[in-house]
This record gives sequence, structure tokens and C-alpha cells, in this order.
Amino acid sequence: MKISVCIKQVPDVSAPITIKDGTLSQDSDRMVLDAYSASAVEEALVLTGAHGGEVEVVLVGPDKAKETIRKALAMGAASGVHIHVEDMSGLDSAAFAEILAAWHKQSSYDAVLTGKQSQDTDAGLTGGMLAWKLDLPYCANAVGLTYEGGKFLVKRQGDTGQEMVELESPCLVTCSNDMNDPRIPSLKGIMQSKKKPVKTVTLDDLGLSLDGVKGGVVKTEGKGFKDVPGREPGKKFEGDPAELVSQLVNLLDNEAKVL
Amino acid sequence: MAKNSFNTDDACLFESMLGEDDRMIMETARDYAQSRLEPRACEANQDEIFDMNIPKEMGELNLLGVVVPEEYGGIGASYTAYGLIAREIERVDSAYRSFLSVQSSLVMHPINVFGTEEQKRKYLPKLATAELIGCFGLTEPDHGSDPGSMVTTATKTNGGWVLNGAKMWITNSPIADIAIVWAKAKNAGSDDGKIMGFIVERDSDGYSAPTTHNKMSLRASFTGELIFDDVFVPDANVFPTVRGLKGPFTCLNSARYGIVWGSLGAAENCYHRARQYVMERKQFGYPLAANQLIQTKLANMLTDITQMQLLSWRLGNLKDQGQDHPSMTSLAKRNNCGRALDIARVARDMLGGNGITGEYRVIHHVVNLESVNTYEGTYDIHGLILGRDITGIQAFTPRGNDLPAAKPEPVAQTLEATEV
Repeated sequence: MKISVCIKQVPDVSAPITIKDGTLSQDSDRMVLDAYSASAVEEALVLTGAHGGEVEVVLVGPDKAKETIRKALAMGAASGVHIHVEDMSGLDSAAFAEILAAWHKQSSYDAVLTGKQSQDTDAGLTGGMLAWKLDLPYCANAVGLTYEGGKFLVKRQGDTGQEMVELESPCLVTCSNDMNDPRIPSLKGIMQSKKKPVKTVTLDDLGLSLDGVKGGVVKTEGKGFKDVPGREPGKKFEGDPAELVSQLVNLLDNEAKVL
Repeated sequence: MAKNSFNTDDACLFESMLGEDDRMIMETARDYAQSRLEPRACEANQDEIFDMNIPKEMGELNLLGVVVPEEYGGIGASYTAYGLIAREIERVDSAYRSFLSVQSSLVMHPINVFGTEEQKRKYLPKLATAELIGCFGLTEPDHGSDPGSMVTTATKTNGGWVLNGAKMWITNSPIADIAIVWAKAKNAGSDDGKIMGFIVERDSDGYSAPTTHNKMSLRASFTGELIFDDVFVPDANVFPTVRGLKGPFTCLNSARYGIVWGSLGAAENCYHRARQYVMERKQFGYPLAANQLIQTKLANMLTDITQMQLLSWRLGNLKDQGQDHPSMTSLAKRNNCGRALDIARVARDMLGGNGITGEYRVIHHVVNLESVNTYEGTYDIHGLILGRDITGIQAFTPRGNDLPAAKPEPVAQTLEATEV
């Protein structure tokens, strides 16, 4: 079994983050493996651990994102593919899906895993778009994944409950961070990761160009930005409990209309 | 607007100067410390619990003795990486970092540097996985800053040595499988009176390691005594060549280096917690952070922390390049512990009454740092080391105003006064 995991480098959410002109400043020096990507890597490692095979991680990003590939290799992935794009400004989910699709059209796999979204934009679109471009059966927001008789069985978190979905291989699954607790790479893993193969690929190698992707694929345009609105203060009721209950029920029924 | 953004955790971007291996090791240590140690820290401190899974967990991630070469179970990482690990662990609790420092710097390091090939092969791999836990016995009940006056003896006998005496304030001693013990040689020919190092196993007859109770600091790690009552140590467990205070001093210098980074982690955590608190806590209609007094306190903290970061990073570089001197470590240990303690106390003050409770965790760092500022050479003793370097005059022992009754006459030989 070969599982291809699409991973992303994002700013560390626990480091101080600044918003400049409505966009997240990416110049904080602390860049880390996206937590949803980490769950996807972990799940792929568990699957290949149980059924044999290997995990390849694929990342689109600048030169310094190589460190994030190494992190996934240190966790246990066998090899990495670095699709080198130094200037990522202006690229949206559709652009990432286009680039990742071009790579996967020329590589082999039994499944593609991605995070259900990524911590920087939280858009949650690339996985679905990639499945569509690759014409793969697809399931989003997985919280469990097993493999049996050439088929993947996905437990996904739906709006009203959990659903079980069976997908023929090859397929694409986007992973929730509730799926598992990603392993922390040991220091031996970190040292060994230096010796694992990482293939660097350019957009040109994939028959793409940055201008072409920006001009033809990107559909997102920033029109403006607003600060997050502050929360309205709640109402506090004081007095006789019996009166308060009827007052509260009245408000819930007539004003909030939730009863 | 400035072209670049200002990072209020790392004002001069020292982390950007770290190599890739070191950064990745730092991330592993941080992930482990925050996800596994932080959730149990408050209760562990309150109830004096050192979870015996912690050594195993650290061993599985290869966080113990990282500078030891791979062939002996380490990973041959840099001193910078070792420091970064200490910083991440002490961000949670100095007690956990104390465990790690002792295992790495005071037990694995001397075996690696002074041990025979057999000793290295026998002990280091098991210490790296925490299958064995170690401790380090130098300080005695009556000999702290002045260990050269130690009274524990090792008497030469057939096939080995017999140890008698007691050691005190020994981190890990109640749980240790082996102890690195320093004692004065007797009946040893040309080695008579010289300090020698021994690897003592816990099941030796006459060996005991009672726990020290009622500590108000470092409550989440074990501290105890070591008592030797005619304990026989075979020749195979003696460090063959190191003699004098150079032995223990080499170990302490390595451990102090870890403390330089560890105290930085504790200070950073206090600053982060105080910053978050004053942003959220409102009094007189405004967040506390809107007050000038609070803002200058935060500015002082960030300024001190930035200096501590740069000092730690530079010292790590010098160690990695083999250009360090023990007095550099004294300077940095003294500076970083002193400042960390000041930062922790100010942070505690900024948290007001809430800062008294354990849940906010700042007072926890305050009481821990009282120990960290004291052990491995007190703030003042390191001041005397630097003072001697600056002036060429040792001031460890009083001169000109000796007490008439002082017996024996004070000698200038102290641990720190000894050239290495």
C-alpha cells in the first residue's frame, strides 16, 4: 500500500501572530507542520504499519518549508516530494488543488490523505477540489479510517452524527484532528530523517507556470477586511427565582424563538 | 509601518539563527512538554508526585543524554540542542528539568567523559532509555559551596574500594539505580587524599538513599540523601584517571549550562502567563495592561528575556565550537537564574491574589527558581568565580578578619577556586 499525504507548513498558532492589511503575516519565524496534516500523516503511518507499505508526503511551498517535510519524515514517512513555489502570495485553495493534482496525475498511490482544512486559512477546500480534479471517490472530515479487502472504510463526522462510508481504492480522504493524536518525532527519527529521500519538483516539471496558475485557476480575490466583531454582553437577571423562570421562558419563546 | 513584524516572544529572533536539527529537536521537546508534562504539572507539584512514566517517555523520545555519541545510546546532538530541550522542559517545571539534567549532565556525561569503555557500554545505553536512573553525589550535609572539604572517604581494599560517608540534596537519589559518587581516597598510595569518582549500584550492601521530605520547591522531583556504610565498590566501577575536583566540576559545568537554558524557559513562561493575565483582567474599567506600571514591567521582562536568549544561544555556539570556558557558564548561570527569579516574582505580583494559587502556575516557578538560583553554585558563589577572574584575587575564604576560633584554618581550596 502506498499512501500519499498532502501536508502544509503554517505559522505556529502558539507564537505571536500579526494580521497585516487583513492577511495573516507569514513572516513569523516559527513555521510548523499544520495540525490537520499531522493527523493525516499519523493515520497513514498507522495504516501502513498495520497493512504494510509506505507513506510519501507531498508539500507545496518555499525552500524553508523543507523543514516541515523533514518533520513528517521524522514521524516515519518514507519519502517526501517538495513542489517548490518560493512566492506563495495570491495562491488560493484552487491553486493548491491544481498543483497537487498535476503531481498526483503522474504518481501512483492507493489513497491520498489531506487535512480537512489547514490552520492558516481554515478554508477546507483543497481536499475536495483535488478529489474532483483527480476523479477520485472522496470523503471529508474523517475521524476514523480502516482498510479491508482493497477498500477503505471511513468514519466521518457529519453534522448530525457519525457516518460510515466505504471507498474503493484509490480514493481521497480529508482528516480531522480528532482522528488521532499525532506521534511526536523522537530525536532518533529526526536524525534519520536527514537520510530519507526528498524529491524537489518545480511547477515547470509539472507542466504548470506560476502566472498560469494565478491567472487561470485562482478564483479568490480579497475585497476588504474587518476586525472580528466583539461579543455582545449577555443579559443578567436578578430577583425571585420563580419570576425569573417565567421571564426567561417568555424571552426564549418570544424573543429568541428557540422553544 | 515597519517592514518587518516585531516578535514579542523572541524580540531579536534568536530562534531564526538555530540550525534545522536543533529547531526540530526543540519542537519535539516542546510538543512533549506541553502535551504530556504541562497537564500533570500543577497536581504533581501540589502533591509531590514524580510520575515514574516520565523517565521512560523522555527515553522513548531520546531526550536523555543527547550529546552522548550514538554508539553509546545517545544521538550525538549539539549542546545547543541540549539547551533547547532544557528550556522546553523547564517552561513546564524546573523539577522535570532537574531530573533530565542529572540524568544527562551529571550521570551520563561523566561516564562518557571519564568512564572506561566497559563502563560506557554497560551503563550509557540503559541510562539513555531510562531503564536505569542515575544520581550524582557531591554535596554533603556540612559541605555545600565548599565541596573540597568533603569527608566521605573511599578506602582502598582488595579488588576495590570501601565508601563511608553521606551526601545530601541529591536529586533523583531515592529512585536512582546508580549513583556517581565523589569521595576522598584513603590508603591509596599516591592518590591519597585525592577526590575520585565511583559508580555505585543501589543494591550494594550498606547503601541507602532516604527521601528528603517537606521541600517547598522542586516538589515534582525526588530529592534525597546517599548514605554509605562500608559500601564496597569494585575496581571496575572506578573512573580510572580523573583525580581532584576537576571530575565533579566538569559535570557541574555541563549541568549549569542546561540550567542557563532551563531558567530562560521558566522566565519565558512567567512572562507569557503575566502578559495573558493583564490583557484579560479588568480593574477600574480597563485591562490591567492599560496601565503604565504594568507595561513597563512587561517591557523589562521582554528586555531581560531577550538578553537571556542571546546569551544562552551564544554560549551554546561556543560549546559546540569547543571555545567555551567554565567561567562563561558561571556568568550565564548566575545571570539567567537571577533574572528568571526576578521575572517570576514580578509576574507573581502582576497576577495579584490569583497569583497565589497553583492553577496560575507562576508561584510554582517562583519557588522552583529559588532552588535553581541556589543549586549548582549559588548566585553569590558564581559572583566570586567571576570576581576572581576579573581581579586575579580569590575571595572564597576570608582574609585579614579570620575568626580566632576557626579550625581548621580556612583553605583557599574550594570547588570553584580550583583550576580545571
